[in-house]
This record gives sequence, structure tokens and C-alpha cells, in this order.
Amino acid sequence: MTAAFTLSGIAKRYPHFTLQDVSLQLPEGQIMGLVGVNGAGKTTLLRLLTGLVRADAGAVEVLGQCMPEGQVAAKREIGFASEDMRLYRGQSLHWHMELIRRIYPGWDAAYAAELVRRFDLRPQQIVAGFSHGQRVKALLLLCLARRPRLLLLDEPTTGLDPVARLEVLEALADVLRDERRSVLFSSHNTQDIEQLADSISFLHQGRLLASADKEAFLDRWRRVVCQGAGMNGVAAWPEIASARANGSLFELKVRHWEADLPARLNAAGLAVQRVDPMALEDIFVTTVRAGEPA
Amino acid sequence: MHSMPVTTPLFLSTSDARPMYQQIVDQITAKVMAADWLPGHALPSIRELAASSRVSVITVKRAYEDLERAGVIETRHGKGSVVAERTELPRALLEEELGRHLAALLACAARLGLAHTELHRLLDQAAARDAQSRPPINPSEGPLP
Amino acid sequence: MSLNVPIIRLLVAKDWQLFQKQLAAHVLGGILALCLLGHGKPWSFYFGALLLLVVMVSAACFSISTALLVERKEQTLAFVMSLPVSPFDYMVAKLAGNLLTFAVPFGVMVLGTVGVILFTPLPDGLFVYSLLLFGYILLAYSVSLAVAMSVQSEGWNTFAMIGSMVLINPVIMGLGQIEAISSTVREDAIVWSGPALLILSSEILLSLSAIAITAWVHGRKPVFH
Repeated sequence: MTAAFTLSGIAKRYPHFTLQDVSLQLPEGQIMGLVGVNGAGKTTLLRLLTGLVRADAGAVEVLGQCMPEGQVAAKREIGFASEDMRLYRGQSLHWHMELIRRIYPGWDAAYAAELVRRFDLRPQQIVAGFSHGQRVKALLLLCLARRPRLLLLDEPTTGLDPVARLEVLEALADVLRDERRSVLFSSHNTQDIEQLADSISFLHQGRLLASADKEAFLDRWRRVVCQGAGMNGVAAWPEIASARANGSLFELKVRHWEADLPARLNAAGLAVQRVDPMALEDIFVTTVRAGEPA
Repeated sequence: MHSMPVTTPLFLSTSDARPMYQQIVDQITAKVMAADWLPGHALPSIRELAASSRVSVITVKRAYEDLERAGVIETRHGKGSVVAERTELPRALLEEELGRHLAALLACAARLGLAHTELHRLLDQAAARDAQSRPPINPSEGPLP
Repeated sequence: MSLNVPIIRLLVAKDWQLFQKQLAAHVLGGILALCLLGHGKPWSFYFGALLLLVVMVSAACFSISTALLVERKEQTLAFVMSLPVSPFDYMVAKLAGNLLTFAVPFGVMVLGTVGVILFTPLPDGLFVYSLLLFGYILLAYSVSLAVAMSVQSEGWNTFAMIGSMVLINPVIMGLGQIEAISSTVREDAIVWSGPALLILSSEILLSLSAIAITAWVHGRKPVFH
């Protein structure tokens, strides 16, 4: 298996924040979703991957290049769009497209034209007049039209209206067709990650809480509603992430679902009423509030 | 290879309570049962279906694996998947669905505090009403409408 | 360190393009200043000289500001950093681009001024004097450029630019105090006195050192952040 990127034992210290003990790998041809609250370390992680920051410990390898030494070679095949990026306000989208075209031999003018149409952008318009959504789509277009081998996207759908969001997701889904291309994207729209990602990585307070195959990850979690006289210490069980009581009704969020759990709950005096899978958003909030590994 | 999608996407919805892979399994099964896709029809590649339906590759993979286990499709190594030859396959999936409904029925009855005899009586009543409102189901005839 | 020349060329071209309008404005202002200088009347000489200084200072400040400070503030730097450039390439491109966008109006003004001085009734003694002043502007520019490349704070950069430019006044007064220079100004001959040569050569030398030291210090950064 060729890895699009590999992080081994990464640590990065800032005055008010530390990223530590992060080991992560993205196999080629996959999409990874990065989840975490603001300040969890997602931006630092992306900067480490593009060679803009050097780790204090550990190794970073991207597309076969050691970073940050190989950043120039790696960046030739990386499409990076982040929240803090801006285009030149006095210039048009067309000017930027020309700049990128001259730098990257992989620029596909036909595909770029198609994206302009799909994203409903006007190439001659000056960037200063772009709305937030148009700016995000423009940055994405400049990345996508080069067909880079690795896409690193920081919040590609955040702040977009529902129509724009769908257009971006469709464009990202198109990348899937080529099994040599990989994507890492961070998003607060956990639904996007839930739908498109092959694997999910969960960053919290500078640590990697989980990095797993999406289906397996989502499969481990259940929301259980049960009825009984009392909790009987069930809330302290290691597989229970959170427990709420309302009279004789109890709602449990289970982080490691096993088939024998209903039986064990019965034995503890709780009759299981219903068991449902949990949406990634719910898992995310529950994990952050519980403050423990997912 | 890169431009237009070649596959009509499936109708997947996030408002549907079922997980994505389950929706894919159910829709493909429905298409096979409705003879939209005949035995031997080549399914789109996992990547192709993922891209056109906007879901992850791993989700489609899981759905295809479930479909293969249920005997709805056959995967030929390196050559993709095709609809399986035998026609009674969807039965296994329907039986699975029946099992799920039975479990839900029993749970509901338990909440109402119904004894099993009472449950049987209600079932007989419902079946009788149902028989009056539509013609009997004949398993030897073609696919259900 | 290997240089990614094609990218550097593109980045310099980009900066040049972004600066076009300001460049045109400065050259126009400079030409106006030269016309006033050459006009021959005391009042036009005064205003012409003033305008010339203002144009020069402005060219220096805008050149640095547009290419470096605004890029940082407007976050287009993040965009540039995502391109296949190393921090070294970027630094070279910035230095080269900046020097180019300043050198053009500066060069035009120096040549224009020299021309006006030599080919009009203005005393040729002004030749040495004006070169000394231009030399100072070059020095102020180099120092400001060095500061801009090293320091992120907008406050310090403004201080460096304005501070060094404001010092022109004391410099002018200082030059006037030096006997060898002030005495030759009104004569219609080019006279290179010892102090003049010394001052001009140190201005040039210090300018080159400021740029060279900056290039060396920043060339050794392996990462942008």
C-alpha cells in the first residue's frame, strides 16, 4: 500500500498549545475526514503536512518526500486550501487561474472551465467583490483544476450556503474516481465527513483520540434508551461515554458496542427500549464532553 | 475518464434513518427484484458508484460485501461485480427484514404489557383484515409490483 | 540551496504586475518634479525638489508595503506558500521583486535629476549634492527593506520607514554644515570633495550590507513559520 502521507510520533510545541504523540497515515486513494474543535490542532497538522512548519519530534512523509525538506517537490502535487488563505483582492479570478496555469503543468483548462460553470463563478470578476462562498469555491477551483495527487482542505464547506456546499461535495466526490488521488479534509459539517470519508481522525487538545475506518468507527457507537429503577453504577462502565436520567428513563451513549450489552444492562436492572446508531456529530460532541479517548 | 459521471446515482438520503450502506443494499436489491438489473448485469465499479452517489468508497465496499453475502451479486476477482444468476436470492434479505420487524413487534408488545397469546390474536385479526383488502400473494408468480 | 528559478520569475512578475498603477503614478510625479526643477525659478526649484523627495520616499515605502507587508496582512502569503516554493525561493523573489519595483522609479529619477542639473541653467555643483541625497534615500530604503523582511509587526515597519525618511531633514542640514560640500553647491562645476566621496561610498556600502545580511539571515530559514 502506498501512503499518501505518514506522520510518526509527531510533536509540536507552541507557547499556548502542544500537539503531541500524533501518528497518522492516509493510504493512497482514500479520503480522510479530520474532526476536532477549533484549537484542537487541525491547522497545525495541515501545516506540518505542507511543510510550512517543522515538527519538534517525529517524522513527516508526504507523497514520498520528507517534510519540510522536500516541501517544494511535494507541493507540486499537493492542493492546499485553508481558511486563512486569501487571493489578491485587486485581481480577477482569471488572473489567478493564469498564474496557477503557468506554475503547474497539470492544469486542465477544460476541467477548470467546467468547474467555473458548476461553481457559478465569473472569471472576470475582481476578487474584492467575491462573497465568502465564492472565495472558498475559487480557492478550491484553483486546487482542483490541477488534479493534484493529494488534496489538503481546511474547512472546504464551512460557511457555504446549502447549494454551494453540495457543489463542493460533488466536486470532491469526483476526485474519488482516480484511485491514485487522496484527500484529507477537516470540517465542522460532520455530515460531510460521515458521508464522504473512508476514515475519520479525531483530534482533541493536541492529541489524536481516534483514527479509524469510518464504518467501523461509527459501528462502535450506539445510543441506548432503557428503563429501570436506577443506574446501578452503569454510568461508570468503561464502554459508557455518557449517561442521562429522566425519572425511570435512561439514555446511554455507548462507545464500544458489544452484542451482549443489552443482556448485561438487563442484569443491572435496565430494560433496553431502543438501540440506535449515532450520527458523527453526536459522537463528536459526546466525546469532547466526556473528555476521554473515543 | 475524468469528466462526466457515467453512472446514474442511487437515491441516497441523509434524512433516511437507515445507514448509507443499508440504503445502497436495499436499493440495489430493489432494482434486482424489479428486474431493472438482470442476472449477469455488470454493477458499476465501487469507485464509480461512490463518486456518482457522493459516498465514501468504504461504504460502497461494505454494501457490496453485504450484497454478496446475501447472494444478490457475485464478485469476480479483478473483474468487478455482476448480478447473481439465481432469482430467489432476495429471499434471504427479506427474511432478514422480517426478522427485524418481528423483533420490533415483540419489543412494542412488551412495552404494552401484552401476553404472547394476546399478540397472536391481534396478528390473526390484522391478517384477516389484510386478506379482505387485497388478493393473496402467490410466490410462484413474478416479482412484486 | 537550489533555486526554483521559474517560480521566482513568476513571483517577481506577479509583484511587478501588482505594482503597475503605483509605478505609473510615481514616475509621473517624478517627471513633474523634474520639470519644476528645470524650470529655473527659485519657487519651482523649491517645489520641484520637495516633490522629488516626496516621490522617492513614497516609491520606497509603497514598494516595500505592497510586496511585503500587505501580502502578509491580506493573507495572500498563505496562498503563495502553498505554491511549490521554498522559504529561500520566496525570499529571493521578494528581494528581487522589491529591488526592481524600487529601482525603476529610483533610477529614472536619478538619471532625470542628473540630466536636469547638467543640461539646464541649474548650477552643476548640485550634481554631487543630489547624489548624496539619493544615496541617503537608497540607504533608508535598504534599511526599511531589511526590517520589513525580518519583522512582522506593522508598527515597527512603519517606524522604520517613516523614521528613516524623516531623518532626511537632519541629513540635509548636516550636509549643509560640511564646508567642503556646501561651498561647491552653487558653483557650476562638478567637484568631488573628500567628505562627499566618503559619504556617498558609505551610503552605498551600508545599503548593500543591509540587503546582504538580510538575505543571508533569511536564506537559512527552512520553513515559513
